Amino acid sequence: MLKINNATKSFAGILAVNSCNFEIEQGTISALIGPNGAGKTTLFNCISRIYPIDSGEIFYWDHRLDLMPTYKIARLGIGRSFQITRTLDHLSVTENLVLHTAGGIGNHLLLPAITRENKLKADEIMEFLGIASLGEMDMGSLSFGQKKLLDLGTVLMADPDLILLDEPAAGVNLRLLEDIIDKLVTLKNQGKTILLIEHNMDLVMEISDEVIVMSAGEIIAQGKPTEIQKNAEVLEAYLGSEA
Amino acid sequence: MVLFSFLYITMSSSWNIIGGYGGFISIGHNVFFGIGAYFSGFIYARYGISPFYTAVFAGMIATFFGFGVGLITLRVKGPSFIISSIALLMIFRTLFDRWELVGGAHGITLPHNNLSVEWSKIPHYYALLVLMVLSILLSWYVRHSKFGLALRSISHDEIKSEVTGINIKIIKVTAYAISAYLIGAAGAIWGDYLTYVRPNIFFIILIAANMVLMCILGGKGTVTGPIIGTIVIIFFNEFILANFGASELNIFFTGLLMILTLLYFPDGIIGSLKKRKLLPGFLDWD
Repeated sequence: MLKINNATKSFAGILAVNSCNFEIEQGTISALIGPNGAGKTTLFNCISRIYPIDSGEIFYWDHRLDLMPTYKIARLGIGRSFQITRTLDHLSVTENLVLHTAGGIGNHLLLPAITRENKLKADEIMEFLGIASLGEMDMGSLSFGQKKLLDLGTVLMADPDLILLDEPAAGVNLRLLEDIIDKLVTLKNQGKTILLIEHNMDLVMEISDEVIVMSAGEIIAQGKPTEIQKNAEVLEAYLGSEA
Repeated sequence: MVLFSFLYITMSSSWNIIGGYGGFISIGHNVFFGIGAYFSGFIYARYGISPFYTAVFAGMIATFFGFGVGLITLRVKGPSFIISSIALLMIFRTLFDRWELVGGAHGITLPHNNLSVEWSKIPHYYALLVLMVLSILLSWYVRHSKFGLALRSISHDEIKSEVTGINIKIIKVTAYAISAYLIGAAGAIWGDYLTYVRPNIFFIILIAANMVLMCILGGKGTVTGPIIGTIVIIFFNEFILANFGASELNIFFTGLLMILTLLYFPDGIIGSLKKRKLLPGFLDWD
């Protein structure tokens, strides 16, 4: 479904992503892990083409993502969240959700922003996330945890086939974390494909079908969670080598 | 004063589309006012076709031009965009000051209409009234459309907007062009009202600054903000002029009014009242 071929990205001569190769299967949850500065978020930004790659190819089915503008990638059915939630605080919660209407708001621009149809869908998603009744509130007045959930909600609003989540569990309490895990598993069962960046190893090991490990811009391991846990190179990347 | 209010409500409501909803503070938007005035004025002076007929086309020319300019200037944002909008105005002032075909610095003098003195301004009154109503309807429509939501999203986070599937370039440029339409048409009518079109009347920064100040005072990014801001500034200005004469005091007091308003109503009158849940329902069109 998603295939990265030798993707390379550098900033001022520093290789942030170095010849990365991996493939994601449809209907799976894959985790992209690695120490801070490994290049995980940069790779996400390359997939959604916020950064153009210097060389290599990124395929989503037959589409070359590295040659497409960001908005077209979104319209292909690839949704993403950000490490630091990028909610639009001056808009209401419903407007934040509606903005992500399936197919992109770029279609039928002359229609009213909030229709009965997309309002219903927004309400459904808020219900699904357990934050119903917040619709009319300004996004800026929500707590961090609520924003984190809504960040996931905005991704779901577009009903994407491939969901890229950048640290969905970062900074959230245990109760919320359990909710997020439940939502991700439900999405997988609905046939969605999820690629997530995460530092919470319990979450990664619990829900991932595949784990991809990055270090210093390179993929150093890929496999089932149980295999990754025993991988010496991964342990060294996380814990450092013995002197 | 009523004509002046109609004119400025038209212009500030139009400016609000790109400046209020889109967040691009253009301090050169009266370029479109001048383009509309010159287009219709030139045709009137040369071919005798009244600006009341050509105002529609003057708006189109302004829109077309706005699209072209937007493609270039909307690549940048923030202070860089503001400076580019001022530069645009300076270029136009210089260009029209030297363009002999349209009279250079002397501009174009237009014939008076055939109506008697007491009726001569009535056509302008109704034309500007229509433009004002259209500008408010357009602003309301944009505010409540998907296009407007996309624009408001872009104003705060372009990257986030793009990953939701919004073609930000097209939205920004289209908003800029739309905002130019009624300003251009108003320029055509205003030129006929004044009976002359000159660079030092139409291409001065004061006109664009007024649009911006009226929107900020009333509440930019709201439908009724530019209307209220325009009325407050024009009436306040007239009050000062009536009581203190034609001195520079009106500028001083207008500045003072702005400072006080922004201190106590940082989101403008409408925006701040809404935030405090004190806005009367009949003023809440958002």
